[in-house]
Amino acid sequence: MIGTQAPVTVGWENIPKVEGGPVKQFIFTWFQPTVLFALIAFWYYAPNSVAKASTAIGIGIAFKILLLGLEWMTPRHESWRLTWKELVTDLFYVGLGYTLLRMVDSYIGDGVMIEAVQNAFTWDKLAWFIGLPLLVQAFLISFIFDFGQYWMHRGMHNWYPLWLTHAPHHYITQLNINKGAVGNPVELFLIGLGVGGFFDFMPRAALLAGTLGLAVGTYQHINVRFNTPRWWRFLFNTTEHHSVHHSQDFEASRSNYSTTWIIIDRMFGTCVDGEAELLGMEGGRRMSIGETMIYPFSEGWKTLKERFRQPVAMPDAVPAE
Amino acid sequence: MSAPDQALQLKPALRSSPGENPVNSRFINWIWHIRGSLALAPEQSSDAFDKLDPLFRQTGTSFERTHSTLVFRKKDQAAQDKMSVFDGGVLQIEKGMAGPVLHYHLTSRILLFCFLAPLLFLGMAQLTIALGELETPSTEVSNAFEDSAEKDLEVPMHPIDVALGAPAPEKESSKDSDDDDKEPSPTPAYVLAAIFAALYVVGRVLESRLVKALFKKSLLSS
Repeated sequence: MIGTQAPVTVGWENIPKVEGGPVKQFIFTWFQPTVLFALIAFWYYAPNSVAKASTAIGIGIAFKILLLGLEWMTPRHESWRLTWKELVTDLFYVGLGYTLLRMVDSYIGDGVMIEAVQNAFTWDKLAWFIGLPLLVQAFLISFIFDFGQYWMHRGMHNWYPLWLTHAPHHYITQLNINKGAVGNPVELFLIGLGVGGFFDFMPRAALLAGTLGLAVGTYQHINVRFNTPRWWRFLFNTTEHHSVHHSQDFEASRSNYSTTWIIIDRMFGTCVDGEAELLGMEGGRRMSIGETMIYPFSEGWKTLKERFRQPVAMPDAVPAE
Repeated sequence: MSAPDQALQLKPALRSSPGENPVNSRFINWIWHIRGSLALAPEQSSDAFDKLDPLFRQTGTSFERTHSTLVFRKKDQAAQDKMSVFDGGVLQIEKGMAGPVLHYHLTSRILLFCFLAPLLFLGMAQLTIALGELETPSTEVSNAFEDSAEKDLEVPMHPIDVALGAPAPEKESSKDSDDDDKEPSPTPAYVLAAIFAALYVVGRVLESRLVKALFKKSLLSS
């Protein structure tokens, strides 16, 4: 039963609204949909010379800086405040994503496999897809990618070897903009695997799909409260959903696996609408960077040793002669 | 080791680490060591540690106290612990010319980590460059790729997108110009090195001031 180990609020009607004056209410009610539709319009109409991956990276960084500013000005919970130490730690993992993981990805990641498939593909077979309206293409790319991530994430919570890689991410005790990058690099590599790169032959649709991830998925880890519209929280993942997933309550953490489309969780019965403030594992123990790096291997080794340890024969009773 | 023994051992540690040449170690360890002092009111020499006590009653924190010395250590400290940046330290009350003075000497692994992080990312940049040079394809292969790319399809456009005025997609073959973006670039690593260098400077100054303000505030509380 949810909430037996740590407090979790279940049900939208029980979740507080943004507090403050009318201007603040207005901004934090309309911010999310305005940014989403503005970004969709931008990528839909941007000239080909602008609609490039480098522009998307620039927008992504600028958007995250803006959200860090919002976190600073109006934190959702004081207990999730971004400190200098948390910022440094988070940025280290972000840095690994931009450097080490990209390097590894270019050799053994999905990009290599996708390129091999693309080279062996008969393009005529994809003409029907390329001929669909752009927004439909973007939706399909985003949804198919998220569908894959949903099952990888759910697998991580249900199969011990995968859980070992994902567990360090669940030791975060607060949600901030860059917390999505916190975790063991093996997990970050695995969760990055997907079919998203397959669609790079449709750059505009792929960029539109990417912007859905940015303008929706980013809110999974953020210390800001929004009055998220009802339709949004029905379709999309939110801070509230993801806080339940990170709750210290075990049952609550087995929910809300998708990254962007919470409707996938609704389809498979794993969605819990609610929120939690008390996050983490082992009562909120903060895992150090060093432990995060070795955890899957050290814990895996410990488990293997226990499993294969020779049991000592201890007869219950000595049989009588 | 009992607390008083440890305190005696750590007394010189306020100025340098035990067993080290104080001049040499201090030349380097300012990177992750923060030292400071606060003048106390005459009556505070007896209850200063009582007032600071809540700061050390935090998850993951252990400490030992004698009359004039407090030694603490932190492991897996909470993110919101007001002293989470520090992993250990010694606080000592000494009699100064103008009255009692609280001296503190705190160590921080995250400060050291942040100081070293630019080196790590500069190393990553060099590795990216080295791997890029190893991976550079021959001219023949590149030309072969371009030839095959020219055979690609014209990209169709849906009538709805035409009606809404979306720009027409480029032909597949011109996609080659974007391929430069996919080459591993050392730029992110250089940018990250610069970010961590800046964060170190900010953190070294900020955390030093914050902890002083925290001690002052705690000592002034009734």
